[in-house]
Amino acid sequence: MSVAQDHPASEVPSSGERGRSQEGEEPPLLSVVGLEKSYGGLKAIDGVSLTIEKGEIVALVGDNGAGKSTLIKTICGALRPDAGDIFLRGKPVDFGSPKDATDAGIETVHQSLGLVDTLTVPENVFLGREETTRLFGLFPQLDLGKMRAETRKLLERFGISVPTLNEPVFRLSGGQRQTIAISRLLLSEPSLLIMDEPMAALGVDEGRRVLDLVVNLRDEGIAVLMISHNLEHVFQIADRIAVLKNGKLVGVVSTSDVSRESVVGMITMGVASIDPKRTDR
Amino acid sequence: MTETIAGDTVGGAKLIGTADRRFPLDGLGLTLVIVALGVIFTLINPRFASVDNFLNILTQASTYIIVAMGMTFVIAKAGIDLSVGSMLALVTCVFFGFIDDGMAWGLALVIMFALGALLGAFNGILVAFLAVPALIATLGTMVAYRGLALLHSSGKLYYGLPLEIVWLGQGHIFGIPVPVVIAAVFVAFSWWLFNRTPFGVHCRAVGGNREAARLSGIRVSRIEVLVYTFSGICVTIGGLIWMARIDGTQATFGTAMEIHVIAATIIGGTSLFGGRGTIYGTLAGAILLTMLNNALVIAGVEFFWQLVAIGVIVVIAVTVNNIRENRITWLETLRVRRNQARNRSVARGSIA
Repeated sequence: MSVAQDHPASEVPSSGERGRSQEGEEPPLLSVVGLEKSYGGLKAIDGVSLTIEKGEIVALVGDNGAGKSTLIKTICGALRPDAGDIFLRGKPVDFGSPKDATDAGIETVHQSLGLVDTLTVPENVFLGREETTRLFGLFPQLDLGKMRAETRKLLERFGISVPTLNEPVFRLSGGQRQTIAISRLLLSEPSLLIMDEPMAALGVDEGRRVLDLVVNLRDEGIAVLMISHNLEHVFQIADRIAVLKNGKLVGVVSTSDVSRESVVGMITMGVASIDPKRTDR
Repeated sequence: MTETIAGDTVGGAKLIGTADRRFPLDGLGLTLVIVALGVIFTLINPRFASVDNFLNILTQASTYIIVAMGMTFVIAKAGIDLSVGSMLALVTCVFFGFIDDGMAWGLALVIMFALGALLGAFNGILVAFLAVPALIATLGTMVAYRGLALLHSSGKLYYGLPLEIVWLGQGHIFGIPVPVVIAAVFVAFSWWLFNRTPFGVHCRAVGGNREAARLSGIRVSRIEVLVYTFSGICVTIGGLIWMARIDGTQATFGTAMEIHVIAATIIGGTSLFGGRGTIYGTLAGAILLTMLNNALVIAGVEFFWQLVAIGVIVVIAVTVNNIRENRITWLETLRVRRNQARNRSVARGSIA
């Protein structure tokens, strides 16, 4: 198990899956077409189309109120779009609730993390899907041994280490809590992980560890869609950057093709100021 | 290759309050208090330290222990159940009513348990589906259930149980009073339920972070109804032992029981704010309170002073818990200022 120590930012993603899908042999993991969602008279997202391939990190950037949160909420089933379609591996899906999305393999880490502070690490990881055995062959009880072992395995797989599994999670640091919030979603082997500001409120060192974890996930073939305000982080790990402004998609660019300045330009001015051939909108 | 990130306290890292570390010692701390009080009471009155008195205390405590087990689940779920005393009066009065009407005690027992579960579930339904705050919902049912008990009994004092039932309160198994045996088994069961079953985890999860529990797919309303139902069942078992022990009941029994039970639970270290609790702590809390009562009786202190003592103890217990959880802002401010002053003086010292 190796923890990526260097920033893979400058590397062009070399996964074969992307190449294949570009040739049209395999539909993209997720594609949304013409998504719209209004709150009252305000169009929070307006005709957004986006594709995400297996094993790539797509960063969603934009100013406050650009529609980033609304977009991920429609994808993760928390909101129903007013118009537009969502396709998963080429098949249309309609998520009525977050549970529908998780059943389809789309897991979401919200900014609030969704951890119960007073529960231990394994209790959090397995919350709502506890491993059980039967006491005297009759009464369901927690299989704590299995839960601990599975948790340890999960954490080790992604190079996460916590001091002890039997502590309530409020004793852990922000970064550790973030990694546990992510790892509990990995239990169900999702194909797409959506993250809302995973590095917000973390220190430099801890933020780095979470970045490494996200890169590890991509290397495992999981697609990642993450909102971030931190362009430095975005340029370090994202394969592509989707820029939103006022609910509209300004453009989707490959990280290796653009400069930070042009992305800032897209965010603030709302114009794709780069070679149009490069934008795979 | 795993690196340990235990030492990370950078940036958004949540600092660990030293107070939190004391949490696992709750049970041990209380046990020490119980032993210390026992020694003091014995020094004052040597009669205190007899095996008979010890078993007597446990027998007296048994009903409180069992009802407090239910309360531990309710409070860990960030709820409260004020109706336990009234519920106890109602189920025992209804049971006695059936016995007086000549019903077989086995059938009456089944009805009593069904009624206890129903009354508890009703509390849960008010909280879960009508969004009535637990404090108000159970305050309402506290009065309503008491009213029903008074209506049912018309102020009558019931007495004269079948011998099989009396045995539950007055019998012995290998020299140990049956109520103590029942309480011990029930505590073991509650510990298992609280710490080792999905139900227990879900209770604590709903109490600790309701929204996270809901997002994890836990059916929060269902857990709420079940928790209050469990409390109702605990009350029924406790009530059964209570009326069997004194071979009688009346509609005013169990008045102010809720304060004793809540006190035992909170003294034990279960957070009023939900999310965590300890079964052992509740057990120790219930024993401690009964011991105190017992000592006050032996010392000949008036009953009214005992009420004062219980009230004061509850407030102290909650305060201690608040200090432990850093909930008292002015105290926290003082502590921070003191640390800053110390750091300044250290800094000056290093310059000098």
